[in-house]
Amino acid sequence: MRAELHLARRYLGRLRRRTHVATVSGISLVSLALGVLALVITLSLLEGFQSTIRRELLQRSAHARLAPASGRVLPDAKALVSVLRAKLPNVAVTEIVSGTCLARSFADAIPALVEGRSNTHRVAIDHILAARLGVGPGEQVEVISSRRRLTPLGPVPVRVRLEIADVVAPEPGRESGALTVPLDVAQRLLWGKPVVQSIELRDPADPWHLARQVRQALAGRFPGLRVDGLQQLHRSLLLALSMERIMIFVAVGLMLVVASLNLLCNVAMIAAEKRTDLAVLSGLGLTPSGLRRLFVLLGLAIGTIATVVGAGMGTLVAVTLDRTHALTLPRGVFIVSSVPFRVRPEMVATVSLVALGLAILASWLPARSVARRDPAEGLRYE
Amino acid sequence: MSERDRMVWLHDAAKAYGEGPRRVQVLQGLDLEVRKGELVAVVGPSGVGKSTLLHIIGLLDRPDSGTLELDGTDVSCLDLEARAKLRNTLIGFVFQYHYLLDELDARDNVALPLRIAGRTGHAARGRAEELLTRVGLADRASHFPDQLSGGELQRVAVARALAMEPPLLLADEPTGNLDRENSEMLFSLVRELHLMEGLTSIIVTHDEEMAGRCDRAFRLAPAGERSGDV
Ligand SMILES: Nc1ncnc2c1ncn2[C@@H]1O[C@H](COP(=O)(O)OP(=O)(O)O)[C@@H](O)[C@H]1O
Ligand SMILES: [Mg+2]
Repeated sequence: MRAELHLARRYLGRLRRRTHVATVSGISLVSLALGVLALVITLSLLEGFQSTIRRELLQRSAHARLAPASGRVLPDAKALVSVLRAKLPNVAVTEIVSGTCLARSFADAIPALVEGRSNTHRVAIDHILAARLGVGPGEQVEVISSRRRLTPLGPVPVRVRLEIADVVAPEPGRESGALTVPLDVAQRLLWGKPVVQSIELRDPADPWHLARQVRQALAGRFPGLRVDGLQQLHRSLLLALSMERIMIFVAVGLMLVVASLNLLCNVAMIAAEKRTDLAVLSGLGLTPSGLRRLFVLLGLAIGTIATVVGAGMGTLVAVTLDRTHALTLPRGVFIVSSVPFRVRPEMVATVSLVALGLAILASWLPARSVARRDPAEGLRYE
Repeated sequence: MSERDRMVWLHDAAKAYGEGPRRVQVLQGLDLEVRKGELVAVVGPSGVGKSTLLHIIGLLDRPDSGTLELDGTDVSCLDLEARAKLRNTLIGFVFQYHYLLDELDARDNVALPLRIAGRTGHAARGRAEELLTRVGLADRASHFPDQLSGGELQRVAVARALAMEPPLLLADEPTGNLDRENSEMLFSLVRELHLMEGLTSIIVTHDEEMAGRCDRAFRLAPAGERSGDV
């Protein structure tokens, strides 16, 4: 091992003198470093966007939803809520009733989703509906239910006038307008009795495992109940995100492979150029495994330098771009105003290990064929 | 010659290069015995297979058939790994061309076999300097091959060959690239080291006068003809 280490050091140290070998190794080093750099920046960018989307999702969406497996109303809702409150004290529990009504202002009458929530006492309208109805905070809308009530004048639709308190952003993925109202208002409008159709749960401490916790807490005591976690509620979005991550890793990873192939070519070239030296080393007693080690050390050295430089610069660029908000996005296109980057250490580690592994492989392959030869072939000096 | 006195025993060796119509039979039915402590010159016309013979004895190449014993051990069937280890400890080489590594200075070149054997850098360098002193190049230890003359390069190569104190020295036209004066100097050096270190040496040479100063000269004849002592 001593001789190999010493030689590897000397070869790399004296590269400055050997212009050809120096250029060749320099180019492989730069291309490998560029591959790592590109991979780190791209994955940070991806991670930046994805974590923004996830954060937004966690802020806006329920973390778990309980709904009847069949039918429209949750049986035994009261008992269910009290069990949940007792067993999961840190989880926010919201009872929900929802249905479609006609929303009317002086300007227009439009079908709208009315959602009654137990966690609000205010009436909120989303941008879409507010714009169509031409109303804003402090103004009134009339909500007309499809449920009828018998009066001396015959059956008339149930209706309420509501004063709008807030105008809010629509829930992700929702395209028609919606109105959020206190639970009792919705119950009166849609059912005429205190039923609950679904329950939403939020647990910012551990959102991704909430559904499982809920299932454990209920322990099968409420049959006919469906528990959906974030994974089920946002399946297609989450699937798209992870697909995107894999595809980009593969696509940019190909760059790394190309860089390693380049390294492989170059190591093979060095092996050809240094054929005589290698035969001499073998002649002096360096074993085939020693020759392989020498090449692997050279590859390791080039790979390490390239990886450190590439990963370091990539991290630096990504962090700088993120901190300085240098890449701005047009307002309203995305939830944030500049391109977000997020550098995850385990991601940088993965990229570095992959790059290093490829570099070692790329130098080991030509070494294998060198080590198989008898040295006499390399010592023909005529 | 008793088995214990024998350093090299090559028996019925054959070697051919190439395939089909381009096949050249270089060695055939060749026998060569070298006694311990002997200084043997190998002579013969160019292209007859002297280098090939030396490569085979030096475990740099394999014969197509035949047996080779070095210092009483049959080495015909060893694998690459074992052959490399034997080359390191048993055999020192000097070639027509110096084959020093450009990236290493004279000291590190001489220290190379020692490092390969696993000696520490310090020990290897110390021994290398000793050897460079022996070949008269103590002041050139930090010079790189491109800073040394042809004669000096060959002397460094001799120092490298003897670094591990191998019992067997193989030299393939070591003076082939040198002028008269340097040739004479190098040959004298090799002969002196041969005697002082108690080596067994085989030297390929074209020089009749040099061959005459060896213990005996072995004439290598083309395949099919009889090779033997002159
Ligand atoms: N690797 C090889 N492939 C084909 N022919 C070879 C090879 N090595 C040597 N030869 C041939 O073998 C013959 C002997 O070569 P060599 O041992 O170098 O001769 P010498 O050293 O006596 O001049 C020559 O004809 C040479 O051309
Ligand atoms: Mg020759």
